[in-house]
Amino acid sequence: MSGEQRAEELSLLRRMRAISLIEGTTLLLLVLVAVPLKHVAGLPMATRIMGPIHGLAFLTYVWMLLQLVSGGGWSRAETARLVIAALIPCGTFINERALARRQALLDIAC
Amino acid sequence: MDYLWLKALHVTAVLVWMSGLLAVALGATSAAKVSSSAEGRSALIERTLRWDQRVTLPAMLLAWGAGGTLATLGGWFHSPWLIVKIGIVGLLSALHAILSGTLRRLAYADAASPPSWLVHARLLIVAGVTAIVVLVVVKPF
Repeated sequence: MSGEQRAEELSLLRRMRAISLIEGTTLLLLVLVAVPLKHVAGLPMATRIMGPIHGLAFLTYVWMLLQLVSGGGWSRAETARLVIAALIPCGTFINERALARRQALLDIAC
Repeated sequence: MDYLWLKALHVTAVLVWMSGLLAVALGATSAAKVSSSAEGRSALIERTLRWDQRVTLPAMLLAWGAGGTLATLGGWFHSPWLIVKIGIVGLLSALHAILSGTLRRLAYADAASPPSWLVHARLLIVAGVTAIVVLVVVKPF
């Protein structure tokens, strides 16, 4: 792997980790804050705001995940784990750890 | 008037996105055929990748953002034709991500070759665009 390729891969992993955390956090905010606000406090505006924000974060996350695994360097098992975790609630936090491990390996190789 | 300006912005973004998507599809599947030398192939892939990152990807985000706002302002979200359209746009977005990743792989590995099914990407894009135009203009359901 060339230096330029490694730098590009690291940059992509950093962006992917960031969007993983954003996706997971917006889901938690939606489920633990916005939904109770709607049903308990009678504030439907909370889900109207948080819903689209989480939807956008999820779409961005899935798009970047597809781009990442299509870029190669991931085994079938790793790809399957990343995709399955993307589709289960809070699975993005699991993926974030996997991406962090991958980033650490690349950092060591630098 | 704001609605019409937003619509113009959305249509422009979609045109730029789709033309860029076709360029990415062409780059990912035909770069080896277009250029006989490794340098020429690499230069073609890198230019296409740069265009994708700087122009096509922002155009996709703009198309999604402006489209979502238009649907909200126009109260279209309960229309079946829009639901189908969003599904097709989602598939085109996924295809874009796969093509973009494939192009990145080709840029760094000389011996890499794209997945065989991607030769149909251009046809899928044209079919998707045709279906979207029919849904938006005719609104059959």
